[in-house]
Amino acid sequence: MNDDKIIICRCEDVTLKEIRDIIAEGYTTIEEVKRIARTGMGPCQGKTCSQIIAREICRATGKKMEDLKYPEYRPPFGGVLFDEIIKGDPDEE
Amino acid sequence: MFKTDVLVIGGGPAGISAALSVAKFGLKVTILEEREFLGGQLIKQTHRFFGSREEHAGVRGISIVKELKENLSANDNIDVLLGATAMGIYEDGTVTMLYKGEVRKIIPKKTIIATGAFEKYLPFENNDIPGIFGAGAVQTLMNIYGVIPAEKVLMIGSGNIGLIVSYQLVQSGVNVQAVVEAAPNIGGYLVHASKLRRQGIPIKTSYTIKRAIGKEHVEGAEIVRLDENWNEIPGTEEIIECDSICLAVGLSPLYDLLSHSGCEMKYIPELGGNVPLRNENLETSVNGLYVAGDVAGIEEATAAMLEGELAGLDVVSKLIGNEEIQNEIITVKKALNSLRAGPTGIKIRNGISKLMNMETEKESIKNNMTDLSHLKKNGTPDTVNIESKLPDDSVLLKGGKAIIECYQGIPCDPCMHSCPFGAIIKFEDINDIPKIDFNKCTGCGICINNCPGLAIFVINKDHTDATSTVKMPYEFLPKPEKGSEVDVLNREGIKICDGKVIQILDGPKQDKTSVVTVEVPKAYYGEARNIRVVACDE
Repeated sequence: MNDDKIIICRCEDVTLKEIRDIIAEGYTTIEEVKRIARTGMGPCQGKTCSQIIAREICRATGKKMEDLKYPEYRPPFGGVLFDEIIKGDPDEE
Repeated sequence: MFKTDVLVIGGGPAGISAALSVAKFGLKVTILEEREFLGGQLIKQTHRFFGSREEHAGVRGISIVKELKENLSANDNIDVLLGATAMGIYEDGTVTMLYKGEVRKIIPKKTIIATGAFEKYLPFENNDIPGIFGAGAVQTLMNIYGVIPAEKVLMIGSGNIGLIVSYQLVQSGVNVQAVVEAAPNIGGYLVHASKLRRQGIPIKTSYTIKRAIGKEHVEGAEIVRLDENWNEIPGTEEIIECDSICLAVGLSPLYDLLSHSGCEMKYIPELGGNVPLRNENLETSVNGLYVAGDVAGIEEATAAMLEGELAGLDVVSKLIGNEEIQNEIITVKKALNSLRAGPTGIKIRNGISKLMNMETEKESIKNNMTDLSHLKKNGTPDTVNIESKLPDDSVLLKGGKAIIECYQGIPCDPCMHSCPFGAIIKFEDINDIPKIDFNKCTGCGICINNCPGLAIFVINKDHTDATSTVKMPYEFLPKPEKGSEVDVLNREGIKICDGKVIQILDGPKQDKTSVVTVEVPKAYYGEARNIRVVACDE
């Protein structure tokens, strides 16, 4: 298997090889992998890659999937322009 | 700032049902739907639904959504905001949304989250080249925009989505080269698998995709067999020619908003991933915050609608409570339980048990005395299965009789309700396998197009001295013409003989599932299960 040609994070173009290398360096939480590889920081916010990364971490460390902590989502969901935020709620003058 | 009694986030089957069940008690409901139209995934579902008659069984998804929308617009208590994205939920229950380019605040008394699910992805070599789609995208292209995604598709995943989308691709004239399934058994309902097999599409269980072939676009795929420990078996690689690979490898709950609210989550693989903890009436660990539908655990649309109703009713009982509501809650819970009670519901039941910290159950065969191993591996029944459904010759010689090739206990009962003569013995449970009282069956064939699994055939063995007739469901274009010669296919979609169409029923009652009567040489009545319309030279 050529893990350099397997994309895990479509948003940030991160391959399985990069994920495995990062885990091998000792970063064994989804949050740590995210901070290094940016997996989960793109438009889909980790919906595509998180479970695959979790499986890789479990494979390398022997941890169980249910024991891994997933990064928390924070508002806002989806993209929003600064302009839209600055304008504020038109009902609240 | 918007004020409303109950905020429903998500306008799919769960969200709409939740809104309807709240609004009928006079409370004000606001639905936020991110897209410009309501209906969620239902708007792409052209197949007939399973389930019980009370919950739209036998009705196509696209017709269900029409009915739900009519009910919505008939209710003045419901405000539907389209193109409205819920952006965040805060500690005090305030919800922010982006609507018409403005950030707005909503302060509801209760919130029901029905945001649905997200498709899972699969790691394999070259998994990012153009031509690789999620099954949802393929369905959107075909069934919303009328665009076929490719000419030759390889489907990955044999759950109900993989099987249904494959069938719809074939209906659109696309070649489905194979369905590949990593597990040793087909994941979806076996009647869906058999429908595909009758089109000649192989279902390769214990296989996975190794790589996509192609640089600028998919030109093929390499698949490989897996052993019982899910390891690839060297030397079993095969190349499948295709210009598209469609991934139907499961869904996970879309739980971002729940995460904002600080709701407690738990990883439950049976339910698709991280799901919110909630009580039996679907209130989460955050007071006043409810979930319904796939976001509460991946299931299907009928369960989603019931969950929506349940969450809605509990909200009402908390806000204005009365006795009547408690009875309704009990009824909905019963319907949900019976939907999940059969052998195919074990995954859901175990997922929910884990979530609630209850004991899980082992898979039992008590509902299925028959050995279905061949059917589960290949999508076609073995001879023992087939013979178990055929009555004695003495019965078959008395005129047309319905043969129901339904072997797996799934929550589905439209056949039983459709028979005007009561020949399909009344179910005790919605997961019962239909049984026929051949003394009552007149061979009319009304059940044929009522079966969502297209598993019913009417056989008249002694049509003439040399021929039998088989009535079968047919959902492809072009429709055959009365009197025309057709290729007759077996359960694997292989041509076994020529046949003649002697009748075709295709009126409003059939609702696009035509019932075709084909005359075949007597030797083939037991095998003839599909036809191929032969192009005539003009």
